[in-house]
Amino acid sequence: MSDEHKKEPAAAEKAPLHGLLAEYETPWQLVEAAKKVRDAKYERWDTFTPFPIHGIEKAMGIRMTGLPWFVLAAGLTGLTTAILLQWWTNSVDYAWNISGKPIWSIAANVPIMFELTVLFSGITTLVGMLMLNGLPLPSHPLDLKERFARASNDRFFLLIQASDPKFDEARTRALLDETRPVVLDEVLEDRVTSDRMPRGIIYATIVLATAGAIPLALAAKARFTKSRDTRVHIIQDMDAQPKYKAQRQNPVFADLRAHRPDVTGTVAVGELRDDDHFYTGKTDGAYARTFPSQIALTDATMERGRERFGVYCAPCHGLAGDGDGMVAKRAEYLAISGEGKGMGWIPPTNLNQDYLREQPVGQLFESITNGVRNMPPYGAQISTEDRWAIVMYLRALQHKSAAK
Amino acid sequence: MTSKDKDRTRHSSGASPKGGGSESDVHVLGDEIRPGPAVASLATKAGAVAVLGLGGSAVLGMLENDGFRRFSYAYLTAYMWGLAIGLGALFWVTLQHLVNAKWSIALRRVGEILAGTAPVLGVLALPIVIPAFLGHDILYPWANHDRVHADHLLHHKAPYLNPTFFLIRFVVYFAFFTLLGRFFLKQSLAQDKSGGSEIAKRMQRVSGPAMILFALALTFCAIDLLMSLEPAWFSTIFGVYYFASCFLAANSCLALAAMWLHKQGRLTRSVTVEHLHDLGKMMFAFTVFWAYIGFSQFMLIWYANVPEETFWYKERFAGDWATISTLLLVLHFVVPFFGMLSRHVKRHKRALAFWAFWTLGVVYLDMYWLVMPAFGAEGLPFGLIELSSLVGIACAVTAATAFGARKVNNLIPVKDPRLPASLAFENI
Repeated sequence: MSDEHKKEPAAAEKAPLHGLLAEYETPWQLVEAAKKVRDAKYERWDTFTPFPIHGIEKAMGIRMTGLPWFVLAAGLTGLTTAILLQWWTNSVDYAWNISGKPIWSIAANVPIMFELTVLFSGITTLVGMLMLNGLPLPSHPLDLKERFARASNDRFFLLIQASDPKFDEARTRALLDETRPVVLDEVLEDRVTSDRMPRGIIYATIVLATAGAIPLALAAKARFTKSRDTRVHIIQDMDAQPKYKAQRQNPVFADLRAHRPDVTGTVAVGELRDDDHFYTGKTDGAYARTFPSQIALTDATMERGRERFGVYCAPCHGLAGDGDGMVAKRAEYLAISGEGKGMGWIPPTNLNQDYLREQPVGQLFESITNGVRNMPPYGAQISTEDRWAIVMYLRALQHKSAAK
Repeated sequence: MTSKDKDRTRHSSGASPKGGGSESDVHVLGDEIRPGPAVASLATKAGAVAVLGLGGSAVLGMLENDGFRRFSYAYLTAYMWGLAIGLGALFWVTLQHLVNAKWSIALRRVGEILAGTAPVLGVLALPIVIPAFLGHDILYPWANHDRVHADHLLHHKAPYLNPTFFLIRFVVYFAFFTLLGRFFLKQSLAQDKSGGSEIAKRMQRVSGPAMILFALALTFCAIDLLMSLEPAWFSTIFGVYYFASCFLAANSCLALAAMWLHKQGRLTRSVTVEHLHDLGKMMFAFTVFWAYIGFSQFMLIWYANVPEETFWYKERFAGDWATISTLLLVLHFVVPFFGMLSRHVKRHKRALAFWAFWTLGVVYLDMYWLVMPAFGAEGLPFGLIELSSLVGIACAVTAATAFGARKVNNLIPVKDPRLPASLAFENI
């Protein structure tokens, strides 16, 4: 037999050694082996098990991770971010009075402060844990070992990398032999799988990134460019409706105005208000001395008047009409305490004076409707019936105070 | 090259199966699980100081010449602090059964003994409850019949806030707390004799409904004794707020009790640094929980800004009370949060003891902040009478616990099937 047949073409191309892999049948053997490897001061090695083994971190001499420090830093960053974000947006950039709370309202900011602290901490914990573990790990030389598939099933592995400073093929092999593995094997570097990024992923990333940039570019253009052109009308039906708008031209009319004034004498339904007595308190130009017929002079009306008086009149005029309502008292306080310096104040009228007792009810009604002197008009706020009810109640107050 | 290393027939999920059956474990532990003489001496000493403290504060109360008003407020503050310890322990025991916890078995007997102080706490409540029942409004405005009739709001709340119903409820709460505490302790002691899982399962079955009833009883007890000091105010989260203090107080006391027992040479190998670490974790977690609940209660009332509710906080932010409120936030949350963050603090006995005392201290500050503004004094009343009430209550709780411990044979549930797991417990 000639030497040529014995030539081994693979010898020159054999991949370099990645490490030695020991396989065990039970977790206890693995833990004992780990202790030996730890005590021999190896640094670049790891164990692989189908389930977590409590205490193996001590057996392997794995030091406590520094991740908690990152998490603490992230948490404090979250807290600071929350404070600054809310301070800037609520108190500086767009200061806005919300429910009368302080412009920089720390109590209202606490929920977000709490949330961002937790959020930043949580994300950092997850991402930090993955990164510190070197994950995701797309490929590893161990993937080429068929036996290694049992690491997620029923076998326990220990790998010492050849890059470890203490690695010596003979001595390391001997050490692992002492731990009596089922199988002790070499792991070669991966010279089989390509470590180039697949072309499909590169193309897809380029296409998606370009496509994703388009909306951003459009938004940026719209945000920052200035143009006198009218807007682009995408939805034609909405932007060009077949109707006349108030400030446009309408050729149908001689004056071309689309916006037409009311026809003279038009009155809306229910707005005729031809009953002067009821609506203005005047009959034939003079103040009425009686209540209009629409007002029933009953307890119910009196009670309504009392209630409405309490709502609209009492704050200034007081519950008994003496001009000592809460608003007046506050004004008095401001004046007395000096806080009201520079503020003008005319006290509300005492409604129990004689000249007001003698005023016709129609005049009282008109004072409420249109206001009088410094009192604002209440016609828009109080319905006509209610105003008459208030007048009825007021008269009752005036009679009562006259009787004293 | 194969080696069939089947030296163990057990295939537990632990790394290496530790300990044999529970009996041999306990045999190994020996004397350290017995209460011992130190417990007995603590009982008598604490009892004596309790009598002195409480008696002294009663005498000081008499000397105040205000119809025992200041005494009542000082006593109530200290009492609610002491009650938190007992009720928190009862909750803790119920919880451990409810979730079938294994890590805490070695501590459970201590917890049961702490929880067994409920009847003593019931008796200690009498200086508060009896005057209210008799119609004196020293503490509770609604106790006074005439005041209730004169005040529209009290009149409306009278169906609940009246002396008779108050007493009935009080009896119901403490009957429940006593019976539940007794049940767990008795079953646990029975388990010491019989072993097996039957008793453990029974306690777990009871713990479910018991937990619901406990939540109700604790909530309304806190409402009755604390919230009704200012009957116009109300907060639906108040029960939870008091519960947070209960849990904090109980965990701190469990840690301190364990460390004290270690000093007497007891439970040195049963309760390890791992258990103390977990108690420390709970103390830390519930510091955050307390702040969360406390802030929730505050924020809603602050944001709605409705005078019907805000006046309670306004009292506590006015004048000198503003200082106490700030101190409460800083000392009860900010400082312990950073202080107890590190796992090394929780695994170091001196540090953990420091934070346990600190926590108990700030729980008292919380009670003071809850109760004293209703007293309506100028400034912050704190003097000998408050101190002696606190010392009295603290020693009463200690004495009750120590007397309870004296009566048991073992300080750990020796035949609980989960005990080996607890003894072998290791934190990460």
